[in-house]
Amino acid sequence: MNTAPSQRAGAAGSADAVAPPVRAADWYRRKRTREAMLVACFLLPSLMIFFLYRILPLGWNVILSFEYWSPLKAARFAGLDNYAEMFLEDDVFWQALTNTLIFILASPIAILLALAVALAVNSDLKGAAIYRTIIFLSYPLMSVAVGIVWRWLYDERGGFINFVLRGTGLIKEPIPFLQSFGWALPSVILADIWQVVGFYMIILLTGLQSIPQHLYEAARIDGAPASARFLRITLPMLRPSLFICAVIGILNSFTAFDLVYVMTGGGPAHATELLVTHIYNMGFGETRFDYAAALTVVQFTLLVILTFLANRAVGGNAGSVESA
Amino acid sequence: MRRRSHILRHLVMALVCALMLIPFYWVAKTAVTNENIYAYPPRILPLKPHLYNFVDVWYLIPFARYFANSVIVSLIAVAGNIVFNAAAGYALTKNFAGKRIVVLLFLSCMLIPFQATIIPAYLVSARLGVLNSYLGLALPLLSTIVCIFVFKAAFEAIPASLQQAARIDGLGELRILFRIMLPLAKPAIATNIILSFIWSWNAFLWPLIITRDVTMQTLPLGLARFLAYVEDTTGALYAFVCMVLLPGIIVFLMAQKEFIRGLTSGATKG
Amino acid sequence: MQKRRDVLKLAAGTAAASFLPKKLYAQTGTKKLSILTWNIIDMEPLFKQWFATFQSQNPGVEIEWLDKKGPELPAFYQTQLAAGTPPDIVDIQGGLGLEWAGQGALLDLTPMLDKEPAVRARFNPEYLANWVFEGKNYLIPFYVSKSLLFYNKPLFKAAGIDYAPKSLDDILSYAKAVSGADRTGFLTLNFDWLYWPLFRMQGVDLLTPDLKKPTFNTPAGIETADKLAKATADGSINKISWTGRWVEPNGAFAAGNVGMMHAHSSAYFFVKTQGSWITPETIGIAEVPGYWSTPNSHGYAISKGARNPELAWAFLKFATEKSQAMDFARGRTLTTANAEVDKDFLAELDKNDPTAAAVLRTQIEHTDKLTGNWRLSDDSAVKNIVWAEMQNIFLGRRDAKTALADAEKKVERELRRA
Repeated sequence: MNTAPSQRAGAAGSADAVAPPVRAADWYRRKRTREAMLVACFLLPSLMIFFLYRILPLGWNVILSFEYWSPLKAARFAGLDNYAEMFLEDDVFWQALTNTLIFILASPIAILLALAVALAVNSDLKGAAIYRTIIFLSYPLMSVAVGIVWRWLYDERGGFINFVLRGTGLIKEPIPFLQSFGWALPSVILADIWQVVGFYMIILLTGLQSIPQHLYEAARIDGAPASARFLRITLPMLRPSLFICAVIGILNSFTAFDLVYVMTGGGPAHATELLVTHIYNMGFGETRFDYAAALTVVQFTLLVILTFLANRAVGGNAGSVESA
Repeated sequence: MRRRSHILRHLVMALVCALMLIPFYWVAKTAVTNENIYAYPPRILPLKPHLYNFVDVWYLIPFARYFANSVIVSLIAVAGNIVFNAAAGYALTKNFAGKRIVVLLFLSCMLIPFQATIIPAYLVSARLGVLNSYLGLALPLLSTIVCIFVFKAAFEAIPASLQQAARIDGLGELRILFRIMLPLAKPAIATNIILSFIWSWNAFLWPLIITRDVTMQTLPLGLARFLAYVEDTTGALYAFVCMVLLPGIIVFLMAQKEFIRGLTSGATKG
Repeated sequence: MQKRRDVLKLAAGTAAASFLPKKLYAQTGTKKLSILTWNIIDMEPLFKQWFATFQSQNPGVEIEWLDKKGPELPAFYQTQLAAGTPPDIVDIQGGLGLEWAGQGALLDLTPMLDKEPAVRARFNPEYLANWVFEGKNYLIPFYVSKSLLFYNKPLFKAAGIDYAPKSLDDILSYAKAVSGADRTGFLTLNFDWLYWPLFRMQGVDLLTPDLKKPTFNTPAGIETADKLAKATADGSINKISWTGRWVEPNGAFAAGNVGMMHAHSSAYFFVKTQGSWITPETIGIAEVPGYWSTPNSHGYAISKGARNPELAWAFLKFATEKSQAMDFARGRTLTTANAEVDKDFLAELDKNDPTAAAVLRTQIEHTDKLTGNWRLSDDSAVKNIVWAEMQNIFLGRRDAKTALADAEKKVERELRRA
């Protein structure tokens, strides 16, 4: 940066287009570093929080998964023992893994439902605000309450669903939803969909809001039918929001913890056991934090893979739409 | 033809809403009576409704205290979320070296369930000296990845030409963020407010772990009182749940007017 | 004082919040006792009274009281343990006490009890022995209950049955006779090992006395499991027995649709408030044939990391002595395992509420026939294994023979691992 004083003095304070090449390169470099520093500054607060409360705990879990440990007992190296037990001996793990995958694969249903609702309330339908509010209402409700009410709704004898089904003559014998190995998981998934559809809806609504209207106008002028407008404009522009929804769907396999715990506790016989409930039981029920850590690492790996696949599916970069 | 499709849409929406409301109806009905929810056949209309359960809730737990604590914690969480998430979301719209890694890093941060982080999170908070305090309660919730990506998506939809124009005018990045980007991303702000409020308001396990003083507890922790001794699903529990639900709905109602169509589309004409 | 603390907390924020309290204690030299209880927050007024009395007897003591619900108490306690600040006294329910003793978290109370035989003599010896792990006492009981049978007298009268079952077969045939279109004959609560008396009365035990080998995979065990499965399939046993936890079974019995309910004493007080049909004449109280029962009790333990173990022990003695135990029994209508208190309280209750007294009397009789309380340090693991297979059997997913064989294999593996 050895610029002669005369050059510096001459260029100070003016935005002259004609500048010696050396100055432009310097300016660019300084701009780049300034930009990089700015980006870093903007990312820093969030990164700090995540470092403290997500990354560090993940590291703790990773290290712990290779040890035998409990509070008050010194750690002993365990090598791959915890993982061996998990993959070779733990039936509950495999059941929980299957259930978790089913849970995640059911999320497109909720997303599609939410998309339909979001489109409906985004239009000039009168009373859209009321519909929006009613559908969102379930999300802020405490999961414990959701679990308790749905447990009652599904009850074999006193429950409302069986009451209606038998009353309308659709079935003769009541269905033991939460006591049946076949029905339990779908029942829990349905209750979960009821709770989160509002969440998906507002994400999609936010996304719909940012689609420039002039695109639709141009398409209408060109004579494109509604389906083409939807497929060619709406869906592609919604890619980022759909990606967020996909990730929420993946997250849901463990944020639904409270709901599953209250509704079935993972039962009957682990039919509704998710990886997260198994982790919790191992950690705080059987006081095996080391094993629970290994389960956490395996679940984390699984979810990272799924998120990566979802990212690929929306074209990378979290589905971002480059606007002109 | 327009009319018919309108009526059809109304009908479908009404049906969907009715289905969504059924569980609520039962929560509300049990909150105003003390009926055994397992009575068969289920009674559709409440018998002798009364409001005593709500009064019970007020007196059985230090409601005002818990409510105030929850308000403070949620205010901190919402404020932190908007500032931090907007900043991070904005940074993620720029191209910089290692962006993909940072995006993947953020995404993977989400994939760890809270239940697996309880002990280390507590130890971290203990080290920071924020146990049993409002900051300690709010700290893990001060930024959430989903909301960062909501901002990122909203900012990317804003034409780059606007940002260029601002830069040429000599505005710093911070000013660009606050003066240009945020006002055009009102739905994203609304979503952030709603979600971070709900998550901090309903947080149960973290406040349970990090508070020892009863005076620092937040509203959801009062739940224990209604599930104490016997898992009592009669009125008081449901009344409590309704009272906890109310602020979330109010926040939603206030914030949702940002979802009105057309607010952001007028950014650039052509 | 409280207000100043709040203002400081808000203003100074983080550092003050964690430093100030400790400084205060260091300056004034107060001793602090922290007590964690399991879901008995409704006893707040009584506990506040006790603390005041204890503090007047032991000046300079500060008592911190925490109460958590069952599902969260282990998470809270283990976190505090990992951070090195466990509450001095913990109220633990059931087998978890043994697990934490095995983990090394609890103080061995045997020396204290040996030094003060008068204290030891307070308690019903079987209830006290509930928490003896590897020969050492870790908890002392203060709130005990065990399972019994409640039955709906009008339903049995209508079915023409004179209620006096002598075996599981009797119970199942009664259940069949009483069940019908929207009624079931029998249901049981099922957390912990509450269902085990159904097996024990058929002579089936879980493990050998040395707790080293499983003994439930026998012809008798298979036959019992099979019978229960068949009874569930034909509707005599309510399916909620095998998956519900507390509310559904009690709610169903309270609704008047169930012939018999196998539960412990606290269920009576809950269903009484929910079921309008329940009066002293209509509710039947009986013991399971053979008088077998599973205990479900609360005990106090002292954490090994307690800073003032002598003070903690002093409080334990205080809380379980006659006056306090009597207050507790009166306040909650329960049995305390303090033999003298229970006798006196029941005599009192006989005059005011004979039905409740009859219910509670079953809780302190036949305590030599307790089952479902094996002293294992991995009780939860064994319980989860056996329970999962039992559910498979009772809900008709697997047959008893293969399911019990599987369970046996897994239990053996678990016992070896522990």
